[in-house]
Amino acid sequence: MPITPMEIYKLLPKTNCKKCGEQTCMAFAFKVVNRDRQIEECTPLFEEEKYAKQKEQLLEMLEPLKEASETGLIVDESKCTGCANCIVVCPVHAAEDAYGSGSGFGPKIDDPIYRLENGVLKIINVQRCRRYGKNRILCVACRENCPSDAISFLEG
Amino acid sequence: MYTCAGCSCLCDDIEIVTEKDDVKTVYNACRRGAGIFLNYRLSRTEPKVDGKIADFEQAIEKAQDIIQNSENLAIYGLDTTTLEVQELAIKLAEKKEAYIDDNSTFCLGDFVEMILKGELPSTTLEEVKDNAYVIAYWGSDAYHSLSRHMSRYTYYPRGGKRQRGYEEDRFLVVIDVRKTHTAKLAKKNARFLQIRDDLELIEAFNQALDGKAPSIFVNDIPRILKEMEKADFNVIFGGLGLKYGLKGKYEAFKNLIARLNERTGVYFIPAGCHPNMRGFNELMFDKTGEINRYSFNEQRSSDEFAFYRLLENDAIDTAVIIGTDPLNSLPFEYAKKLAKINTIVIDPRETFTGRFARVVLPSAIAGVETGGTMVRSDGVRVELKPLFEKEINDEAILSRLLEVV
Ligand code: SF4
Ligand code: SF4
Ligand code: SF4
Ligand code: SF4
Repeated sequence: MPITPMEIYKLLPKTNCKKCGEQTCMAFAFKVVNRDRQIEECTPLFEEEKYAKQKEQLLEMLEPLKEASETGLIVDESKCTGCANCIVVCPVHAAEDAYGSGSGFGPKIDDPIYRLENGVLKIINVQRCRRYGKNRILCVACRENCPSDAISFLEG
Repeated sequence: MYTCAGCSCLCDDIEIVTEKDDVKTVYNACRRGAGIFLNYRLSRTEPKVDGKIADFEQAIEKAQDIIQNSENLAIYGLDTTTLEVQELAIKLAEKKEAYIDDNSTFCLGDFVEMILKGELPSTTLEEVKDNAYVIAYWGSDAYHSLSRHMSRYTYYPRGGKRQRGYEEDRFLVVIDVRKTHTAKLAKKNARFLQIRDDLELIEAFNQALDGKAPSIFVNDIPRILKEMEKADFNVIFGGLGLKYGLKGKYEAFKNLIARLNERTGVYFIPAGCHPNMRGFNELMFDKTGEINRYSFNEQRSSDEFAFYRLLENDAIDTAVIIGTDPLNSLPFEYAKKLAKINTIVIDPRETFTGRFARVVLPSAIAGVETGGTMVRSDGVRVELKPLFEKEINDEAILSRLLEVV
């Protein structure tokens, strides 16, 4: 399941106290999802006893964030059968490795985004992914074509 | 680059990093394919005679002895080994006037036969990649049985006339009785037909071709036909679901394909899973005009000569089983029968059948320890290259067995 800012917001103190440096709790929630801010930066949540339960829930919910790559991409290898659908559909591979992974073969460039290694999907070079960096596009092609839901993104 | 003999896709773009005689990393293979390389040293068998470990020479001499004295021999398996070995096995069967059969009896042999006889128009997977517009999987969950089929050859890769990607340049149709993983991929520009009865679906297509409203999938079938007419190259991949769904009424299916071909180009390729099943069918067809369950004594093919029927009817005294584990898949009553006759198992790995066998001859894994040729599901021949060479392989063993006949 993707983690959305709304889910995080619901568990924050919702006081808009600005102690985290953001104007609102909602703004803070957005930045947590994008990993520009850490949940620990909401000091009231951690210091005030009345938020203890919410804090627990939030920490649990955000656990997968730690494993995710810089684009919020998570691959669950236990679900992957190595079909390579995700590798071949990726528009970046189609453009930059047209005769390799864009054509169904193993990659012919050195730094593809994905590659099958020992039968499962490995992330090799996430910087090339369209979701990466400031000008990101919310591409979902790889996730949409994984029949076993082995790929997920933290947001959307 | 190596070829994976894990299924009938025979992917030939596998890269492997080794360290001494160990496989460290396998690139580009699916989970099943990678497993074959990574685990090649696991559950290997030793030569055995009457359940006891013997040396290889003893075991092969015992096997020769049994074959020499056999009056009704059957050879079975063969779909995981190379053409070169299949040829030797056929020769052995011919000289012994024996029976020979493979998995294609249960599997997609009937479709291979229709293609070899020219009753179904077929094509190659490379052509599919370059040209196919409508791609239909009928009774086949390719995602599981042929993991890289869709990404390597059919729906996803860009090629030739199909450069604009699956979303614009392909139309996917998945036909199955349940929502399989493959069916989940039928999204935009696609249709999933969840059917109850394959013959009912064929009838509905015929109704639409007659210009009438089909009795089921009223909107989907006309749409699929319209899409097929947009291109002159479309392909249907038929799996086991289709075979069993047709209940032997192949005429209906062949007629439908012929009728579709009056309007547009529609090809058929079997979507099966044994790596070299088609190779065996082709060799047999060239030699005998039949593809499987053959008796060289009577020089004909018959249902009665299917391996399990031979067991059932106590028709054989000896079975040579190559690269397959029938006891694992056959019901217990056959296991009992197999235990009563002389069984020679030729296999790289420990098998359940091997436990009941008079002789076990350990062999080499095709594509890992021995090379050769295999035939892909579309009839294209693919070379296998060994990663590590093992002297004792199926070919060497069968040559030795041939010495005594
Ligand atoms: S510190 Fe916490 S409570 Fe205060 S505005 Fe930021 S998120 Fe909201
Ligand atoms: S999100 Fe898009 S660009 Fe990124 S890896 Fe997946 S398909 Fe490629
Ligand atoms: S699409 Fe899914 S199952 Fe297939 S290789 Fe990618 S992650 Fe693995
Ligand atoms: S799809 Fe078949 S041939 Fe290709 S890597 Fe997987 S098991 Fe091997």
